[in-house]
Amino acid sequence: MISTILLLGTVLATVTRRLGNVAGTVRREVLLPIGQALERLLAPIDRALEPAANAYNRSLGPYFGTMTGLQFALILVSVVALLTAGVWAPMVGPLVGGGLLRTLALASIWAIFAMSWDIQSGYTGYISFGHSVLSGAAGYTTALLIVHVDPGLSIWVTASVSVLAALVIGLLIALPTLRLEGPYFSLITFVAVLLFYRLTTAFSSLGGIPGFGQPDVFTWDPVMRYYYMAIPMLLIALGLTFMARSNLGMILVAIRENESAVSAAGINPTKFKIWSFALSSIPMGIGGVLLVGFTGNVDPETFVIVDNSIEMIAMAVIGGMSSILGPLGGAFLFEFLNHQLFHSYSTPVRYLFLWGLVLLVLVFARDGLFRMIWHRLGAVRGESE
Amino acid sequence: MLGDIGTLVLQGTMISAVYALIAIGFTMIFGVGGTLNLAHGALIMGGAYVFALLSREIHAAVAFPVTIAVIALLSWGLYQVLVRWVEENVVITFLATVVVAIATTEFVLYQFGSSPIGMTLISGAVNLEPYGINARTRYVQFVGFVISWIAIGLLWYYVTHTDDGRSVLAASMSERGAQLTGVDLHAVRSKTWLIAGALAGTAGVILGSTGGATPLMWLNPLALAFIIVVIGGIGSIKGSVIAAYVIGFLEQFTVTFIGHGFRGILSLVVLVVFLLYMPQGLYGREFAHD
Repeated sequence: MISTILLLGTVLATVTRRLGNVAGTVRREVLLPIGQALERLLAPIDRALEPAANAYNRSLGPYFGTMTGLQFALILVSVVALLTAGVWAPMVGPLVGGGLLRTLALASIWAIFAMSWDIQSGYTGYISFGHSVLSGAAGYTTALLIVHVDPGLSIWVTASVSVLAALVIGLLIALPTLRLEGPYFSLITFVAVLLFYRLTTAFSSLGGIPGFGQPDVFTWDPVMRYYYMAIPMLLIALGLTFMARSNLGMILVAIRENESAVSAAGINPTKFKIWSFALSSIPMGIGGVLLVGFTGNVDPETFVIVDNSIEMIAMAVIGGMSSILGPLGGAFLFEFLNHQLFHSYSTPVRYLFLWGLVLLVLVFARDGLFRMIWHRLGAVRGESE
Repeated sequence: MLGDIGTLVLQGTMISAVYALIAIGFTMIFGVGGTLNLAHGALIMGGAYVFALLSREIHAAVAFPVTIAVIALLSWGLYQVLVRWVEENVVITFLATVVVAIATTEFVLYQFGSSPIGMTLISGAVNLEPYGINARTRYVQFVGFVISWIAIGLLWYYVTHTDDGRSVLAASMSERGAQLTGVDLHAVRSKTWLIAGALAGTAGVILGSTGGATPLMWLNPLALAFIIVVIGGIGSIKGSVIAAYVIGFLEQFTVTFIGHGFRGILSLVVLVVFLLYMPQGLYGREFAHD
C-alpha cells in the first residue's frame, strides 16, 4: 500500500514536470496551426459582418459593450437559436438522447442562477457559497403562500412576494457580512446554506425532507414550458449585461482588483457590495420562482443543498467569471453535458466528469471557455481588444 | 438534569477534541499559504474510508498509523499536483479545492454508495449509568480525546521548539520576513499540507469510528471548523483549540437542551457576534504587512 503510494508520488512529480514541456509542444505544433487556419477561414466572414456590427456599436454599443463582426454574429445566432428552440429542439433532440427541450428549460433556469451569482461574486471577487439560499427563499415563500394563505393566489402575487423575500434574505446575509474582507464572507455564506438546510428539516412547518408538492407547474406542454423559462432568462441576461457594462460594473471590478484604491477614490466599497448583492438577489428570486414552476415541488434537495450553490459556481467558472454572458453559456454547456451527452451514466459518474472538467478549466483556462472563445473571435483579424 | 449536565460535559469534551484537530489543520494552511482549503473536508472523509477498508484486512492498531500516513501523503500530493500551480490567485485556489472536495464526494458515492460504512478504532463501551450519566460512552471516544491531545502536544512542541517548526510559524506571521531569514517558503507550505493532512486523517478515523463513514460526513465538521478558526483567530493554534472547546460545548448544549434540529444555530450567532465586534478572533493578530 505505502510503496504504491510512494511510487505514485514519484510518478506524479515527474509527470507534472514533464507535462509543462508536453503542453508547450502541443501548443506550438498543434493548437497554433489550427488557430491560424481558423483565423484565415473566419477573417472574411468577420469583415463581411463588420457593417452590421458597426451599426450596433454606434447605437447600442455604449450600453452593452462593443463587438466585432464575428462576435456580433455569435450573439445573433445564439439569440435566434434560443428563441426558435421550440421548433428545432424536438427534431434534434432524439440525436442527443431526447428530452432536449426539458434540458434547455432547466439550463435557462440555471443560467439565471449562474448570471446572478456572477454579478455579485464574479465581479466583486467576494465568492458566495450561499446563493442557493436566495432561490430557496423565493421557492419556499411561494410554497408557503400557496399552502397557508390561499391556493388560488395569482402567480403575479406569489412571484412578486417571493422575489421580495429573496431580496430581504439577501440583504440579511449581506448587511453583516459584506463589511468583512475576503474569505470571511465566503465562510459565512457557506455556513448560511448549511443553516438554512437544517432549518427546513428542523421545523415541520417548512415541510422537512419531502417538502411541498402543492405548487403547480406552469404548464405541462414542453414547448410552452421552455419559453416560460427562456424569455425571462434572456431579459435578465440583457439587464445584467447592461448593469455590468455600466459604471456600477466598473466599480464592482475595481473592488475585486483593489478595494483600498476604491475607498481612496472616495467611493464606499461596502455600499456597492451591498448593491451588487441586492442586484444578484432579485434575479435569484425570479429563478427560484421559475424553478418552482418547473418542478412543481419545493424541497431542500432541489432548492437549498450546498451542491446547488457550487453548481452555479461551476457553471460560471466554465463559462468565464465576470462576463455575465459567459456563465450563461457555461450553464447551457453544463446542463447539456449533464442531461444529454452523459445521460446514460449514473449520477455520481456524470458529476465526476463534470467536476473534472471544472477543475481543468480552473487550472488551464482560468478565464473560462466562453470568454476564451469570445476574445479569440474578437482577435481573428489580428487586432486584439 | 444533573445527569444531562454530566453527559454534556463528557460528550462535549470528546467531540471538541476532534473539532480542534480539524480546525488546527485548516488554520495552519490558511495561516501559511493564505489558502482556504475546502478539500480538508475530503481528506477527513478519506481518512474514515481508508481506515474502514484497511481495518478489514489488518489490525486496527496498524491500520491507524497507515491511514494517517496515506492521508498526509494525499494532502501533500494535492498541494504538489494542484494547489501550488494556482495558489497565487486566492479565488481560483478556493474554488479548485471546493471542486476537489465535491468530486471526491461523488467518487466515494460512486464507489461505496451512500449508506454508512461501519468501522471502529477500538470496540466496547463503558457504562456510566451508576454515576448518573445516561450515556454509554464508547472507548473510542476516550481514545479520540487522548489522541487529539497527543497530536496537539506534538504539534506545539514542533512549532515552538524545533527550527523546522519555527519556520512554519515565521511564514505564517510574515512571508517576506521569513524569506529574508532564509526560509524556503515552498518547503514550508508542503510541510504544512503534510501536517494538516495527518491531522485530518486522524480526525476522520475518530469521526468515522463514532458515526460510520458516509460521503457527506465532512460537511458539518468542516463548517464548524470554519467557525472555530474565525473565533480562535486565523493562524493561531492556541485560539483554535480554545474555540474548538467553546463551539463543541455549545453544539452539545444545543443538542441536549434545545433539540437536534437547532444544531449549529447558536454557533452561527456566536460567529456573527465575533465577526462584527472582534473580527480578529480570540488570539488572532494583525497580519504583518509585506
